[in-house]
Amino acid sequence: MITTEEVSHYIQNIPPAPSVLRQTLDYLREDDLTKAAKCAETDPALKLYLKTLINRPIYGFRQEVSDLAQIFGILGISSTQQTLYNYLLSLLVPKQWSLFALTDHAFYDLQASLGRKWEKILKHLNLHNRETESAITLLPASIIVCDALFGAHRNEVEQLRSVKALDYNTILQRLSKQSLFDLCSEIAAKWEMSPTIARIVHAASGLDVEIAGDEKVLAQWMHLLLFYELSQNVYVTAGLNEFIDFQIDFVQDIYESFMEVVAHESNG
Amino acid sequence: MRATVKGRVAVFHPQGFLDGNNAPSFLTIDDIKATEALNVDMLLVSLKKVIFFNKNGLDVFVRLLLSIRNQKHISIGLCDYDSVKFKTINSFYGSNLNFSLFRTEKIAELFAPTNKSDSKTVLLYNEDPSQRSAMAIELFDYGHNPVIAQSKKEFDEKKQNADLYYAIIEDTYLGLFGQKIATRVTGNAIIYTIANFLDAEIGNTFNIAYHNNSLNVGFRLFIFDAYKVVSMNVHALNFFTKLASSAAEYNATICFVGLTFEKTPVSFKNDLEDAGMMFFDTMEEILKNKELLQELGGSSASATKHTRSLTKTLVNELPHFIDATVSTIAMMTNAVATKTSVNIQTLEVKETANQFASSIGFYGDVDGIIILVFPKNIAKKACELLIGEETDDEEAILDSLAEFVNIIGGRAKALLGEKKHIVDITLPRTYEDVDALMQMAQNKKGVQVDLSFEGSNFIFFLTR
Repeated sequence: MITTEEVSHYIQNIPPAPSVLRQTLDYLREDDLTKAAKCAETDPALKLYLKTLINRPIYGFRQEVSDLAQIFGILGISSTQQTLYNYLLSLLVPKQWSLFALTDHAFYDLQASLGRKWEKILKHLNLHNRETESAITLLPASIIVCDALFGAHRNEVEQLRSVKALDYNTILQRLSKQSLFDLCSEIAAKWEMSPTIARIVHAASGLDVEIAGDEKVLAQWMHLLLFYELSQNVYVTAGLNEFIDFQIDFVQDIYESFMEVVAHESNG
Repeated sequence: MRATVKGRVAVFHPQGFLDGNNAPSFLTIDDIKATEALNVDMLLVSLKKVIFFNKNGLDVFVRLLLSIRNQKHISIGLCDYDSVKFKTINSFYGSNLNFSLFRTEKIAELFAPTNKSDSKTVLLYNEDPSQRSAMAIELFDYGHNPVIAQSKKEFDEKKQNADLYYAIIEDTYLGLFGQKIATRVTGNAIIYTIANFLDAEIGNTFNIAYHNNSLNVGFRLFIFDAYKVVSMNVHALNFFTKLASSAAEYNATICFVGLTFEKTPVSFKNDLEDAGMMFFDTMEEILKNKELLQELGGSSASATKHTRSLTKTLVNELPHFIDATVSTIAMMTNAVATKTSVNIQTLEVKETANQFASSIGFYGDVDGIIILVFPKNIAKKACELLIGEETDDEEAILDSLAEFVNIIGGRAKALLGEKKHIVDITLPRTYEDVDALMQMAQNKKGVQVDLSFEGSNFIFFLTR
């Protein structure tokens, strides 16, 4: 099935962050929205992505917003950074999903929904900052990696799972000694994301025993949020509900607060 | 979502949140068809990884379970929950609870009608005396040894010595049970437990495919534990007569134990004896009498004196079976197994020490048995992906080996299906030493393929 060579090859082929994007992120780190917007203006693909995003019904603008400085102003520094990372991740999205029955639209909706709910969670936990907000953008990378690595082995995995309930993350770990979340950390390093982001997302697998403090709390909420989202119709149908193992014990003690913050507000 | 099958128990494992909106998405039409096609005795939904569920969500799965039970007369239920979830499920369904609830999958397996495991001692408590008795009877019928606590106090006391019991059964409920005739393997005899009034329904509740497979893989003694049979009608008589005729072709013996003729016509006994059935008063008369056991064919699950020869079709399909084996090994280990020799012969194992073996049968348009003999270290390596951790626990390795040959069986079935040969596969069987295997396979002629894998050799043997 999947070999360590295939995994290494995949890591080697992760594209670096485009230079314009890197520069834009640098300006954001310096809190300079104006320079960041000007820099982003020079990348037509990035500009189109941001324009399309901000003009989606969820933002509720009656008139089309097309000026990047205005867009960055609306989003603010943290959300702009999160959006830029989402854009970066969109560069990894496959042209054709081969393992999961996903469409680009459904994947971008997942990114957006995770982002919105994550913001609520961070406010509730009072752990809102630029890095924690951006952490959620890396989480869906695990889905992209999984699809890329297992797409050609779908039938084999089905046969394996017919006798044992193994999730993709466990299968990969056993075959290559690397988990999907290890590969997310590799992506984070390649894209020069902060180590905190990589640690939180890695721990969101629910399997890191050494994590503690705020990072553990964030990892718990992220793990439960992921399964909350992956229990939605469209993602269950896409086969995402089974891609990693849900660590119910890891999140049991935050479940009630989670439902108050995320589920009740969503229903309301 | 597809169910995972272990032995003859299939389990769905949904994760996360389960409600009326998302539950239908877990089961596509293809999933439902695949579930209906499963050859199992028990179908369950595990709630182990479900953090939230409501009645509408459960109902989607329950409807599928009930529909399959109506078609196939199998046991169905929910499993893997804690006390809180158990109370919630009870509050949802109340007196309409017509499926079973098993606190763990391990407990559910004890109630699986086709039981190949050894007798287990289990501690049992249920505050409802009728449930308590029903569970005890079922467990006893399946060859287990239930220790029944009559009160909560007694249960709590006995629970302190958890090491004494294979499982502690609480928060469990048997709903509409006894759908299939209980089957267990004792030594090399297969025991079916039958009860009450026997009529035409026995044709539905008796697992004829399992019985035929058992004949094919070499079992020669079948015992009907009939202590609890009140009477039978002519339809049941016809059923047993036909069963005796098919057993005669294999030189197998079928016995009735404990059947009384107070309400069953004595003429039925004569008819059954004419068909070759034997009658005994107690089980001990057979199982504790070694000479009799040998005479009846229950001393070893060996092949009959007239061995079944290989067919041209089977030999033609040999490359598919080897492909299935080699590709499964490649899938599980990322290493390649290569063929070193192919011969038509009886099974020959040169190195008998430190070997594990496993077999799986298939039947339908073509029938036969695939046997694999591995050095223990190779078996362990081949099963690493299933086991997941370094282990020398032989039971765990043998369990995984059974799963491993099940995948090979599944692959062979798919490959044959592509050639329009429709077959079904039997339960896998494992052997902790070569002697046990040779008792079954020694006289059988087949194709022996020696394969090399990471510097060691292992044997693939295809026979009938």
